[in-house]
Amino acid sequence: MTSDEGIVGDGPALGSDPFLQSDGTLPYLLRLREASLRMVTEARAQPQGRERELPSEPPDLGPPIPELPSFDDRDESAGALDRLASWLLTRADDDRLAQIFAPLDGRPYDDFGMSPRVARRALAFFKLIYKYWFRVESSGHAFIPEKEGAILAANHGGLLPFDATMVVADGILGGKPPRLIRTVVDRWAGSLPFVNVFYARVGQVIGSRDNVREMLGAKQLVLIFPEGMAGIRKRAADRYVLQSFHLGFVEESLRHRVPIIPVAIVGADDQAPILWDAQPLAKLLGLPFFPITPTFPLFGPLGLLPYPVRYEIAYGEPFRFHEEFPAETADDPHAVRYMAEQVRRRIQEMVDQRVIARRTKRT
Amino acid sequence: MRRVLVTHIESPVGRRLAKALYHDPEVALVVGAGTEPEPSFLAPYRGKIAYQRLDLAKARHLQSFLHSERFARARVDSVIHLPFVSEQPGERVPGGVPSLVSETRRLVEECVARPAIERFVYLSSVFVYSPEPGNVNIVSENQLLGFDGEGDVDVRAWIDADLICQGELHGSSLRTTILRAATIITEAGEFLNSPPLAHGEVQVGYDPMLSVVSDRDVARALVLALHADRPGIYNVAGREIFPRSQLRDSSRRLGPITLPDSLGGALSLVEQALGRRPAHVTSFHRYGVVVNTRLAHDVLGFEPQYRIEVRGQGARRRIDTVRCR
Repeated sequence: MTSDEGIVGDGPALGSDPFLQSDGTLPYLLRLREASLRMVTEARAQPQGRERELPSEPPDLGPPIPELPSFDDRDESAGALDRLASWLLTRADDDRLAQIFAPLDGRPYDDFGMSPRVARRALAFFKLIYKYWFRVESSGHAFIPEKEGAILAANHGGLLPFDATMVVADGILGGKPPRLIRTVVDRWAGSLPFVNVFYARVGQVIGSRDNVREMLGAKQLVLIFPEGMAGIRKRAADRYVLQSFHLGFVEESLRHRVPIIPVAIVGADDQAPILWDAQPLAKLLGLPFFPITPTFPLFGPLGLLPYPVRYEIAYGEPFRFHEEFPAETADDPHAVRYMAEQVRRRIQEMVDQRVIARRTKRT
Repeated sequence: MRRVLVTHIESPVGRRLAKALYHDPEVALVVGAGTEPEPSFLAPYRGKIAYQRLDLAKARHLQSFLHSERFARARVDSVIHLPFVSEQPGERVPGGVPSLVSETRRLVEECVARPAIERFVYLSSVFVYSPEPGNVNIVSENQLLGFDGEGDVDVRAWIDADLICQGELHGSSLRTTILRAATIITEAGEFLNSPPLAHGEVQVGYDPMLSVVSDRDVARALVLALHADRPGIYNVAGREIFPRSQLRDSSRRLGPITLPDSLGGALSLVEQALGRRPAHVTSFHRYGVVVNTRLAHDVLGFEPQYRIEVRGQGARRRIDTVRCR
């Protein structure tokens, strides 16, 4: 007996085999054919198309499992951070968060890894920074759409991305209605240990076109810093001078038919003025830049903390390029560059107005 | 009416699939193939499902079966191939996971050579994609696969098998459908087709998000793919996604913990010198694989029916699947 014989063929393991005659009165295949013909006749009487092929009800795949508590119930033993957050946030803040996270429908994470629970804790902390450290003043909330998606294009500065954090906090605490603004962060941040996890849990997303497409498709607000890394590495002498813009945000605006809202952030460029970018050291450490500020590296990591400067965030009237140009315009580099330049100039104007007003106020 | 050959029917997904096919009025006959003696769970389905003991890793076993009268009588016109979804695919198969690639190649070639076999459904994994920090967070079917010569051997096998099946997508008489399933979670809280979870290593500072799907939903997706008019590649996942740190099954705890290179370069060198550095720390342990299932929804009509929840705190945390109401 070969090894095949035990495996292939009419072996004992086959049990009551539907291929074989069962009782000797009627061959199984004949009965099967009759049943098949009957089913075909019945099927022909039914409507054609995919509705017929796909079962409307899923097959019963097992006994029902007892209902489990909802996601909210599993946090009965809320940690110290949650209790602290409850102490720092008002009822109105929690209502705003509930409004923002309602589309999650109880899911503990959204598709980008944001956790409402972690985001709540983070908001409690950043609310203190927002109110008491940077004393943020904001204007122009009426330009932010209530439900639709949009791209917010802002100037960037300040070494650590507190400008992004303050815009996100402002969207929640000052938005009417509150909206979650999702910041597109540099790909490099996605490879940083701990930082990548924190960013994901508080709703920030790695900068890729597919991610932007997903977010705009879900009618979310996407905050983009078109200056990129050049914005935060610029020296103190260049503060509030916008660097050249990357063009992707205009292309995505045209492709996904959403407006671009210019956002001017004043204060970020003063929070950690960079005296010099030590590039040789940066290359050695594998960093995109190595800043020398009045406090860093003199005071170690503490020197990276921002100075308590006043922040001002202004949302401008949206650019609606998508209403004037077709989506194919996104493939025309000259047109896209022209539009990006329009946005850059507008943000520069908004920044200049506020910087001059500040200086006038001081004098 | 389809007459279906299901490989590895003894696997947890095969078990669910057997039940789903048994109740599917569009399926006339199922031949379930497996390497073990006939599993007892097939007993109630004997009227429609025949079991065939068959070691697909051995070419002559497959040849013998395909040339047998038994196969001719079955008049199989569709094949559902589930090579990687056993509890421990590498341990159960004598040649390890790579032998499942040869098995898949052999089966595909045999199916192509037989015009009577019209449809081929292959269950792949979303871990064929290449997760990187710069990649998209939500992966679509057109995302590049993660070719990495030094990568995880399981993942490489998955990619190879996936590519073999992709070869039949265009210009072939065999209507091939590839389902790339997220981490499959069984009713018992076990994980299937997920190399990062199977190996258990954790890297400090990273907690990638992973799509998950119930084994019952995978079975439903396979049935839908069997009847689908449009062959192609489809991602299959449930609605929920979880960070890696929350996905611990009832038996496995978190595995060895390593420091990221950027944090503990010197420590890593010491670990390596001591031979303690795990070999399987790959980009999967750092970056997430969350998939976009829009195509499966639009074309196959796939909608996940089962919710997956994580219950408990700390080490007592465990996975549960819940029937959707």
